[in-house]
Amino acid sequence: MSEATAVKEHISHEHHGFMNTYIFSLDHKMIGKQFLLLGLIMLLLGGGLALLVRWQLAYPEQPLPLIGASQHYLETGEAETAMDSYWDSELSKTEDEQGWLVQKMPVGIITPAFYNALFTMHATIMVFFVVMPILVGAFGNYLIPLMIGTRDMAFPLLNMLSFWIAVVSGAIMLAGFFVPGGHAATGWTGYPPLSTDPAWTGVDWGQNLWCISLIVLGISSLMGSINYITTIINMRAPGMTYMRMPMVIWALFIVAILLLLALPVLTAALAMLVFDRLAGTTFFNPAGGGDPLLWQHLFWFFGHPEVYILILPGMGITSEILPVFSRKPIFGYKAMVLAMASLAFLSWIVWGHHMFQSGMNPSMGMTFMITTMVIAVPSAIKTFNWLGTLWGGSIRFTVPMLNSLAFVSMFVIGGLSGIFMASSAVDIFIHDTYYIVAHIHYVVFGGSIFAIFAGVYYWFPKMFGRMMNEPLAKVHFWLSFIAFNCTFFPMHILGVGGHMRRIYNPMQYEFLQQFEHMNIFITMSAFALGLTQLILLFNVFHSMFRGKKAGDNPWNANTLEWTAATPPPHGNFDAIPTVHHAPYEYSAPGISEDWLSQTNELQPTNGNGH
Amino acid sequence: MLDWLPQNVSTFGSEIDKFFYVIYYITTTVFFLVTAAMIYFLVKYRFQEGKPARYYHGNNTLEIVWTSATLVAMLILAVASKPLWSKIKQNPPPAEVIIKVTGKQYNWEVLYPGPDGAFGTDDDYQVDNNVHVPVNKVVHVLLGSIDVIHSFFVPQLRLKQDAVPGREIVAWFEVTEAGSYEIPCAELCGFGHSGMLGRLIVHSPEEYEQWVGQTWPDN
Amino acid sequence: MSDVFTEERANTLVQDYGGTPPPIGAGPSDPGNGGRQDSSGKSHANAILAMALFLGADVMFFAGLIGAFVVFRFGALHWPPPGQPLLPLGITGINTGILLISGAFMVKTWQNIDRWPHKKITKALTLTTLLGMTFLLVQGYEWFRLVAFGFKLTSGTFGGTFYTLIGCHALHVMGAVLWLATVTVRLARNRLDQQQRNTSIALIGMYWTLVVALWPILYGLVYWN
Ligand code: HEM
Ligand SMILES: [Cu+2]
Ligand SMILES: [Cu+2]
Repeated sequence: MSEATAVKEHISHEHHGFMNTYIFSLDHKMIGKQFLLLGLIMLLLGGGLALLVRWQLAYPEQPLPLIGASQHYLETGEAETAMDSYWDSELSKTEDEQGWLVQKMPVGIITPAFYNALFTMHATIMVFFVVMPILVGAFGNYLIPLMIGTRDMAFPLLNMLSFWIAVVSGAIMLAGFFVPGGHAATGWTGYPPLSTDPAWTGVDWGQNLWCISLIVLGISSLMGSINYITTIINMRAPGMTYMRMPMVIWALFIVAILLLLALPVLTAALAMLVFDRLAGTTFFNPAGGGDPLLWQHLFWFFGHPEVYILILPGMGITSEILPVFSRKPIFGYKAMVLAMASLAFLSWIVWGHHMFQSGMNPSMGMTFMITTMVIAVPSAIKTFNWLGTLWGGSIRFTVPMLNSLAFVSMFVIGGLSGIFMASSAVDIFIHDTYYIVAHIHYVVFGGSIFAIFAGVYYWFPKMFGRMMNEPLAKVHFWLSFIAFNCTFFPMHILGVGGHMRRIYNPMQYEFLQQFEHMNIFITMSAFALGLTQLILLFNVFHSMFRGKKAGDNPWNANTLEWTAATPPPHGNFDAIPTVHHAPYEYSAPGISEDWLSQTNELQPTNGNGH
Repeated sequence: MLDWLPQNVSTFGSEIDKFFYVIYYITTTVFFLVTAAMIYFLVKYRFQEGKPARYYHGNNTLEIVWTSATLVAMLILAVASKPLWSKIKQNPPPAEVIIKVTGKQYNWEVLYPGPDGAFGTDDDYQVDNNVHVPVNKVVHVLLGSIDVIHSFFVPQLRLKQDAVPGREIVAWFEVTEAGSYEIPCAELCGFGHSGMLGRLIVHSPEEYEQWVGQTWPDN
Repeated sequence: MSDVFTEERANTLVQDYGGTPPPIGAGPSDPGNGGRQDSSGKSHANAILAMALFLGADVMFFAGLIGAFVVFRFGALHWPPPGQPLLPLGITGINTGILLISGAFMVKTWQNIDRWPHKKITKALTLTTLLGMTFLLVQGYEWFRLVAFGFKLTSGTFGGTFYTLIGCHALHVMGAVLWLATVTVRLARNRLDQQQRNTSIALIGMYWTLVVALWPILYGLVYWN
């Protein structure tokens, strides 16, 4: 069947049974929503794991609330609560008969081995199954065809496969929790030799499944990125030149290129790791002539582009939302595009900044320090241009706008903290401390996740045809913003105090005694942050069915998705639109409205800077 | 925030701290300027009836100015960090004391060459976790590992170096104050990672003599 | 939902667009097949681009493996490590020639696809396939000998990199030969129309070119001493 008939078929077979509409849909919008759902479910799970980690750090080796045994039981051995009796009966069984829970956290106390699996899986899930599926999978799928003015992706079938392969990969990843020996426990970076031999961790199939799942995810990502790039290059509506593409499309375009080229390197490294584990090779095992640092080079050669995969779509979303709610063209469109392109380019030559203390030849440290310092420049350019966009605007503080502003300011903190680590000498002290953890979370939570919030609030009306509840959304935003900063800002201080990351019990160290209260404060804030997300979930599902009906263009925005019906039907547009403008012509002189749709033929009276 | 830095007792530690301070002052200034500008814009340009937004697409001169300004600032920082980095990791001063420290799950195995100054001889002395060194002497640590990667971290020395199996990596330090400091492992090395904790015991010259006398009584 | 284009919908659109209403149904800008100006041309272009992108990813995958190999080979004091066999340089050299010739056939066919008669194309592709198979057979035989010698996947980093790197390439050749054979058979049986034929040959041509072009690099790096 040729592409053309496929698309015709695709358009005419609307509402074609539950399976084809909701499960094996070929429609990019449904696939986008599926990715969103996958990401949100995984977000709950990944967040839950983080809270367990936080509990242990604040109250080391104390039973968890609710499910843990009571103090009375621990002291006297007499069961007092229902949970006490449960633990009591489980503990009296032989080891192979004991249930899952009691192996991981007897009497509700997290074991060190399980603790390592917790933070490993927290990061793995958040990076690969939350931020990537939502920012790239959900927004990429939903927005690309709508915003470049076409009816679907270039390869709808490949698109569907890409989603379902991601689901399979997720299922393999989750299966790891239930295999003997427990899940992978070597950090999301999986450094060998710790990860090559079950003897070092006691983890057997957990680590194998971790590798296999990520290899499978690589296939899904390959399909997705080929689809995105082909669609953007070949299927733009008439008049949609590259320099008229919305910023979020530029971001997703660049991200797709990064994904295409970076993930295969990880796949190669994972394949070698699997061979080391299962086939007796010694790529990373010095005893057989291998080199543990080889993994680090390969991993970070993938890993640094990966962190830009996590942030670029967020930058795109922010660049989309700031002009709309400032009612003003984006400041320095070309500079913004160039900055993203140079970030993407530079991200290939900075990987060594993760390895300053690894034993890598120190003269390479100097090279990587320079490239890393240089990569801070495009980040700064983006920030200045966002400020320029606000300057002279007519700013509306809608919920998407609030979240985008949070993105900008949190990204500034994350970027600035990166400069400390970029200086290899300073990094000697803060490497592998909570300073890094703070940095990561300012860019990935403060950045990517706030961008996800912004994007969900902004495009929800288009996706589901209804508005989200605004007061509730504001409460969610402010609580998240405050709890986020209370959770992660103090981690800078822990890092400055030398607090290592990935440790089970900070109270084992004299020099960390002083941080007990700070750790408790962080944990409480983290729980508040976690609970706050329930507001978002409630709002999403409530508004989906009960929200106020949305018009086609509730924000008076210019880009093409708002010219489609709400929600857009199969095939998106009644007729393929023709584009006459750059995407951010707000408050143009000579136009009666303060916006000018990309499809509007009218021209502003003075065309500054086209 | 800088008050939280652990007390520094190594020769190069204060230079790292100085760098930390410089970057701290620069970045905090930038942060406050950016945030102030943002808040100012948000207030000044908030939606007001009858006050439309400017139709303005950007300014190339401004782009060039702020790009080159940040680029220059960043390059200066990089170039300025270089000598300190080489001093700590590339060109150690000649050793006055040499010891071997080998990471193993979950201890630091410390090997002293003994009075003959050579490893692999009868007077070698091996002990877990206790690193005895004299104050104000350049100490070279030959770092290795027999199993997985560990990281030799002494917060008060601002020293951190991974110990990688299959390699011998030289780390060095010179302590300026006698005392006892913790040596946590800073690289995840298994479920016992968190308890992996050595001790750096820095002796005054007399004390050090005494310790040597006790450890190698025959000499 | 508004999949039916009603008057009411047209009015909302007029409001939304702020200008003249968009043409109803297939207007000049909408040929009615998803915005593709020329449906067959566009899907051909999409397929070619997608293949090119896939090859880019594939090259990165090999770059990872080759990177590992380079680290070991040029970091080692002795290569091959003591006790390991020298690789069969001569016969593999001839094999390299065979693969290169098959690549030349492929490229020629691809270039002349609109000029050559159907028969000639089929013949050239058959030859390409046969040469590819010969390459695989010779490789297989050499592997057989190496394994018999005791050189295995687990023979240190030399064995590990050799079998993963050369093995991955061999898997690529195998896949390519199977695909090529399928295309050739369908071509011989006249199962493809002109457009399908051009697309299939372009796609397999690209893939085959990559597989062939990778080989001399691997040969030079892995076999040469
Ligand atoms: C101004 C730009 C940035 C600079 C100069 C920078 C610098 C660095 C450096 C030097 C490290 C290694 C620190 C160490 O382990 O000792 C690091 C770690 C990290 N960065 Fe950045 N970074 C920047 C932006 C970002 C962005 C935008 C993201 C992601 C969205 C990001 C995510 C991460 C992550 C996840 C790690 C930790 C990886 C790990 O060890 O688990 N960074 N950064
Ligand atoms: Cu990085
Ligand atoms: Cu350790």
